Amino acid sequence: MTAMRLTVNGVQREIDVDPRTLLVHAIREQVGLTGTHVGCLTGDCGACTVVLDGRTAKSCSVLALSADGSAVDTVESLADGDDLHPVQQAFWDEFAFQCGFCLPGMLLTAKELLESTPDPDDAQVLAALNGNLCRCTGYNTIVSAVRKASGCATTCVKESPCRKS
Amino acid sequence: MTPRYSAPRDLAGVTAALADGDGVVVGGGTMVVPDMTHGRTSAAVVVDLSRAGLAGVTAGEDGAVVGAMTTYTDLITSDVPLLSTVASGITGGPQIRNRGTAGGSACYANPASDVPACLVALGARMRLASAGGAREVPAAEFFLGGFRTARRPDEVLEAFVVPPLGGAALGYLKFKLAEGSWPIVTAATFAPTGGPLRIVVGGAAATPVAVDVDRPSVGSDDPAWREHVREAVHTALDAAEPWTDVLAPAAYRRRIAPVIAARSAGRALEEDR
Amino acid sequence: MAAPTLPDSAIGGSARKRDGAALLTGRARFVDDHQPDGALHAHVVRSTVAHGRILSIDTAAAEAVPGVVLVLTGKRAAESAGPVPYFIDPAARGGNRTDIRCLQVDEVVFVGQPVAAVVAATRQQAQEAAALVAVEYEVLPHVLDAEEALLPDAPRLYPDWPGNVVMHNRYGTGDTDAALAAADVVVSGELRIGRSTTSPIEPRGYLASWNAAEGKLTVHASCQNPHQMRWMLATSLGLDEGDIRIVTAKVGGSFGLKMQGHPEETLVALLSILTGSPVKWIEDRRETLMAGARQQVHRFTVGATADGRITALVNNIVADVGALTAQAGWAMPNMSATTLPSGYLVPDCRIELDIVVTNKPPVNAARGFGKDAAHFVMERAVDVVARELGLDPAEVRRRNFIPADRFPYRTSTGLNIDSGDFVGLLDKVCDTVDYAGIRRRQAELRPLGRYLGIGLGFELTPESSDSPGTFVSGFDTTTVRMSVTGMVTVLTGVTSPGGGNDTGIAQIVATEMGVPIEWVELVQGDTDRCPNGFGNFSGRSMVVGGGSATLAARDVRDKLALLGSRMLAVPVDRVEVADGVVRVVDDHERALAVPDVARALLTRAFAIADGIEPVLESTRAYKPGNIDHVPDQFGRIQPYPTYSSSLHAVVVDVDVETGKVVLLDYVMAHDCGTMINPALVEGQARGAVAMGLGSALSEQLVFGEDGALLSDRFKTYLLPRAGDVPELRMVHQVTPSPFTMHGNKGAGEAGVGGAQAAVANAVEDALAPFGVAVRGVPLTPPVVLGLIDEAAAR
Repeated sequence: MTAMRLTVNGVQREIDVDPRTLLVHAIREQVGLTGTHVGCLTGDCGACTVVLDGRTAKSCSVLALSADGSAVDTVESLADGDDLHPVQQAFWDEFAFQCGFCLPGMLLTAKELLESTPDPDDAQVLAALNGNLCRCTGYNTIVSAVRKASGCATTCVKESPCRKS
Repeated sequence: MTPRYSAPRDLAGVTAALADGDGVVVGGGTMVVPDMTHGRTSAAVVVDLSRAGLAGVTAGEDGAVVGAMTTYTDLITSDVPLLSTVASGITGGPQIRNRGTAGGSACYANPASDVPACLVALGARMRLASAGGAREVPAAEFFLGGFRTARRPDEVLEAFVVPPLGGAALGYLKFKLAEGSWPIVTAATFAPTGGPLRIVVGGAAATPVAVDVDRPSVGSDDPAWREHVREAVHTALDAAEPWTDVLAPAAYRRRIAPVIAARSAGRALEEDR
Repeated sequence: MAAPTLPDSAIGGSARKRDGAALLTGRARFVDDHQPDGALHAHVVRSTVAHGRILSIDTAAAEAVPGVVLVLTGKRAAESAGPVPYFIDPAARGGNRTDIRCLQVDEVVFVGQPVAAVVAATRQQAQEAAALVAVEYEVLPHVLDAEEALLPDAPRLYPDWPGNVVMHNRYGTGDTDAALAAADVVVSGELRIGRSTTSPIEPRGYLASWNAAEGKLTVHASCQNPHQMRWMLATSLGLDEGDIRIVTAKVGGSFGLKMQGHPEETLVALLSILTGSPVKWIEDRRETLMAGARQQVHRFTVGATADGRITALVNNIVADVGALTAQAGWAMPNMSATTLPSGYLVPDCRIELDIVVTNKPPVNAARGFGKDAAHFVMERAVDVVARELGLDPAEVRRRNFIPADRFPYRTSTGLNIDSGDFVGLLDKVCDTVDYAGIRRRQAELRPLGRYLGIGLGFELTPESSDSPGTFVSGFDTTTVRMSVTGMVTVLTGVTSPGGGNDTGIAQIVATEMGVPIEWVELVQGDTDRCPNGFGNFSGRSMVVGGGSATLAARDVRDKLALLGSRMLAVPVDRVEVADGVVRVVDDHERALAVPDVARALLTRAFAIADGIEPVLESTRAYKPGNIDHVPDQFGRIQPYPTYSSSLHAVVVDVDVETGKVVLLDYVMAHDCGTMINPALVEGQARGAVAMGLGSALSEQLVFGEDGALLSDRFKTYLLPRAGDVPELRMVHQVTPSPFTMHGNKGAGEAGVGGAQAAVANAVEDALAPFGVAVRGVPLTPPVVLGLIDEAAAR
């Protein structure tokens, strides 16, 4: 086992891992945050998405040791206490999930898109979501939610007046 | 068996770690790490390139030098010809483009992928480094077969060099069965000013297949010229090693390759206008 | 006190999913999120041959791996566990059966069948050790194709069977030979429905914790049917049912796959018992993808009059169910047969069905449950008739639909359709998709080398089934309990693997009880807390979960009203419970908060509440009408109370140089009766359509000649992604069922077969200039190009 450091959602953690340990397992089992999900372990479904040093990554395709010293943000970082992030709020309002298993990837990818492209067109939304599988919704409501969050994001992501109090 | 893990701080460290020839190189990890998880790849040492300073595109004398750890996302905002647009369409979503690298894809050498045919069309040169020294291999000679390249086990791809375009136009097209599939057939067209077109077809054979065709005398929608392109592609594929995977048999790839090639050539010519 | 009731929380409103906050923030706990201290990890060793005799299993190398606690073989497992009981036993239906074991003892019949299991301290150790378990097989000949399996000299999966047929059945009434002889036209065809799978994004998984001191077993499971699983584990492990607790709180999608009956359920529980530690097994995606959802060949012959009225249907079905399973999947093809001739007036039908085993992994229960195949076949048949007669396919449907004034209508195969308006659906879908406009556009574009097509697919979805003598139950049970503070706990036997029936049931309870929905807590998927029930399948959860919740809620409400009327000193018929108060009907100022009434009942039982049984709780079962298990003169039974219906239209653009089909537009006109929560209904429908589109265009399980699965990841088994699915436009029609509590009919299964049929019909329509005849799904680009080539060669 090798010791390594991760800053997860702003908190510094020291954990021990095997060279083959995947980042997703380190986050779920060593750090103990289970909001990041395992769906395929082949980098195809996107349920394990986290933000790694500022960019989304599929944490099943990253060796934990590769992330030594890195900052990781997980789906648990999105809400501020009971205040949901606008993307979360839009997903709830638009019925953009059913079982919720794909949500970590959908939410974090949508958030990354809106940060770089505040007012995406449908093609940009679809391209951004293409690494995330959902088997429940048929995607329509997910696209609506991202568009809705974009309307909100362009005006108020920083101040978050849309956040439900 | 638990492998050793090595994350060298420089290229010399990487080549030293690989010197025994029993290492697996992890770049972006998007292909190799799942293979390790499922026991399809194993080695005595895992050599992680993430700290070796191999990321980034620099302008060299003989073209753009694309470091092995340059991600697709990096390429999208770069001015590396063709690859900057191809990168945005890489299957797997932004998460894969944020981690995956064109160099890694070249080394993985899945015939059903975007990068190999692009590199051949661009006339890229692959810079390989080992403890014994460095060498450059033209992309056209780098791909030896499905999942096989000229890279020796003790070598690492340090970078690839994309020569200046010299005013050439480019066209790229890929055909997938669905959004989530690997490319079935890709075609990259290199159209130097005034000269004949070079179309490089990927996915239709075990390695990229290059075809030179004359420019159309009328227009790219001229049926006779399109037929000429198709025949040239067919002839070239006849001489190539066929490729079949779970998604599509060789016969289908061979069947649509001329179509995709002609469309890609059409795009390049459109851009050239 | 919580916020006042929002209109969305009423029956018919689109209340948001009540578990939204937990799911959105990552707090919800799925089975793999339970990580008890000391939990061990299991890895299943699977057969590498499609058919063989196990000669020996050498576990020594595996046992030597550090961290390994137990390596279990089938032989040893059989000493501690009996066979896994069937969800639906083929023998009970006159078919052939075999004992299903958690680990095979002597023979294996498919690549991937469990033969041993390793338990170790870490996942990695278990995986590593599993690779070292050396199994020696005597390889036997195998058969992967159902039609080959029917040949007399085919290899036999189960030596004590007379062949490879689980059962042969015949359905339908009337004289089809005479009707065909009298028909103006007779058309026939062969349709192949490829093997697809459900593949929810959360794989299956189980965490079993055996408490040796108390002799109690707790299993957290990704499962739709906790009570059936408890019974199954009690039976296979010889435990008392009361000593087993199954918890299936959060499930990441199921679609039938997670109905119980899988060998790993008994296996993981046994591993926990044998090791005395909690044992977890989470399926790898490659294992999830082994489970089939459907694979059938249909040969049909249809007779019709010159004006397009279908008079007879003959259909021979060969269903390839892979190896036999204790899960419900093998029984699905029966529903393909009985759902024919769908919503059409076809008096004479003869359906012959062979359910056949092959050396592939089992077909497991799947959304659609075989009904999807009936729609695919019937809708293709209607289009073939239309083409033969030169009639418009929409018009042929109109002429053949059961008219809205003929319900209840009993079909030739015995189903008693409760209600519907199929012509109404057709009108709605044609208007919305602009059927006439698409036809014009199609004609304009063809000379330009673009091939548009439009296809229709009607779907009649029998829902909320009951199968006598099995745990496919047509009723369910709910407890509604109010606490002294007025808070309501609903404990129900139905489960919600994602669709949101928990929200719908909360809406029903809140509406029926007259309290804000925020007061209502739902408990599902816990056999220690919930009344006996049957979980989630067959679009039943809102029909029978909602129905039973209604009855129980009304009981509690009535008691509140009775006591409230005393406290308000008015007759009980002058009070109502609404908005969280008991109030006088015509004088809303005179009102008592529901919590005050509840407290009075429980604290003044010998005073003002004297004579009223001081229990604010009711447990009720709900049995909908229209189920009839007394065979009629033709031996037909009627296992479904209600029938949803839908009509699908899809517009496609086919690239004739590559065979790629692009979806341009999609409209579904849907009638599931009363909608408790329209947004959740639409979610179910869109999800089912997307699944149907996947199986129509890209999803296909591919096996090598050796029987090993080749399409073993999401790069080779192609689920639709966001960019593959067009906007799925929904139009609703509401024809309430006379036989269910709220007139609701069940939603969730409708979409798969309709989408498949509409796509197939649209592709054939697009390629009409080439004379292409579609013969099955999926219509992948290589298949479509092959059809064009084949037509050109004719």
